[in-house]
Amino acid sequence: MKIRHLGLLSLVVAACSGEPPADKPAEKPAEAPAVEAPPADVDKTFDPATLQAAAEQVALVPSPAEMQRSLDKASVNKALATMVKDRDIQMGVENKDQIAVRCGVVLADLVLTVKDSPKETVVARLDRLAEGLNKLGAGSDVQATIADMKTRVLNDAVARDELLKEMDELSGVMVPELEYEAGEWVVPLIQAGSWLEGAHLVSGALKEVGRADAADNLLKQPAVVDYFIKYVEREGSSKAPDEVVARLKETLSTLKVVVAKPTLAAEDVDTIHSATGAVLTLL
Amino acid sequence: MSHRSFMMSAATFAAALSLSAAVAQAQAPAAAPAAAPPAAAAPAAAPAAAPAAAPDKTREKEADTCIRTKIWSGYDQGWAVRNATSAKLGGGEHRVYVITLEAGLEYKLLACGDKGIGDLDLVLHDVNGKEVARDSSNDREPTVSFTAPTTQSYYLAVYAARMNPGVITGGVATAVTYK
Repeated sequence: MKIRHLGLLSLVVAACSGEPPADKPAEKPAEAPAVEAPPADVDKTFDPATLQAAAEQVALVPSPAEMQRSLDKASVNKALATMVKDRDIQMGVENKDQIAVRCGVVLADLVLTVKDSPKETVVARLDRLAEGLNKLGAGSDVQATIADMKTRVLNDAVARDELLKEMDELSGVMVPELEYEAGEWVVPLIQAGSWLEGAHLVSGALKEVGRADAADNLLKQPAVVDYFIKYVEREGSSKAPDEVVARLKETLSTLKVVVAKPTLAAEDVDTIHSATGAVLTLL
Repeated sequence: MSHRSFMMSAATFAAALSLSAAVAQAQAPAAAPAAAPPAAAAPAAAPAAAPAAAPDKTREKEADTCIRTKIWSGYDQGWAVRNATSAKLGGGEHRVYVITLEAGLEYKLLACGDKGIGDLDLVLHDVNGKEVARDSSNDREPTVSFTAPTTQSYYLAVYAARMNPGVITGGVATAVTYK
């Protein structure tokens, strides 16, 4: 483990040495004159145009675990983990957009079920995740982290509560790392897979318990849908015919219309459930 | 929490925090939330920059370590993390993150500046740009707690109000946690 930790720390150092692009508001041209910062006791205010122009979306999308907590807060008594299908999502496809979406779904299932699933199931999902991320160009540190988790699960050497924290961290941390290594489109599409799975499970829970009244706060996230659409339809995305990606575009278009409504009704929850399910059943 | 897993997590987390600065850069021109006000033509105005100094990696690591410690101590109190990211800021500069906050959840938005930053502030705005919470106390570890009344997009601004004497830029790490 010492060697592995040293390796990871080396990566930290290497990562820190990268200079960010120079076109950000926070970055400084080297030749510009110095200016005094405002006094500390003056509260800086931001106007809407400034906020929108500068906004970065790296933290926009709620995690599947967050969706479960929202469900709890809305007094919808349903554990999403019990609704996760026992399936083996294969990574043996060529289209990388599709692999990213598949990874997102597997990651969501892992986060939601890691506390209670049999260890064989956890290990199988970790294997699939590692396979998919490898195809996306993930670095050896991510693979080593997943392999380490797998070993400890197999040996019953980690408490499930502890593993949940590590999975939580993995899902929030691995993503930026992947984007760096495999291209900036990877993370949003992994997030799309996780969010689709989460939205599918939440809409299923609302249907099951008859709580469409809670849908506005649980499923109405137009900014998230727009964010995914931007990446699915990006320049340079795979132009090869792909059933899953085509269905994903169709689903996102449907969701965009639905979540733009002032209030979601029971039929809208049905639409969200079937539209998200249409993608997931192809995986 | 076992020491072993903390060590692994800490190393992984530090790597991701550092790398996520590049992520944030890549995503900067992204579209704003659907319900947001019309886009501005120009990027956010930041004060004119001071002469660049050699990057101090130690400072960025210091901010990363600080936020990592806060996140892991939060786990013991029931908090979970959605995302953590890092950046460099000079005096008077800011970063803005658009985040979806879900109704009813408690959010704790955290930031850490390294020792070169004298005063770091956090300001949370709703989708219309109205300020809803801030921590502008005179320190470099601001925290904003907020419970969203409805699920909506919000803007979180991280602002380096004051640098310590002789310091041009400092490392800043930001995290979205919830419970």
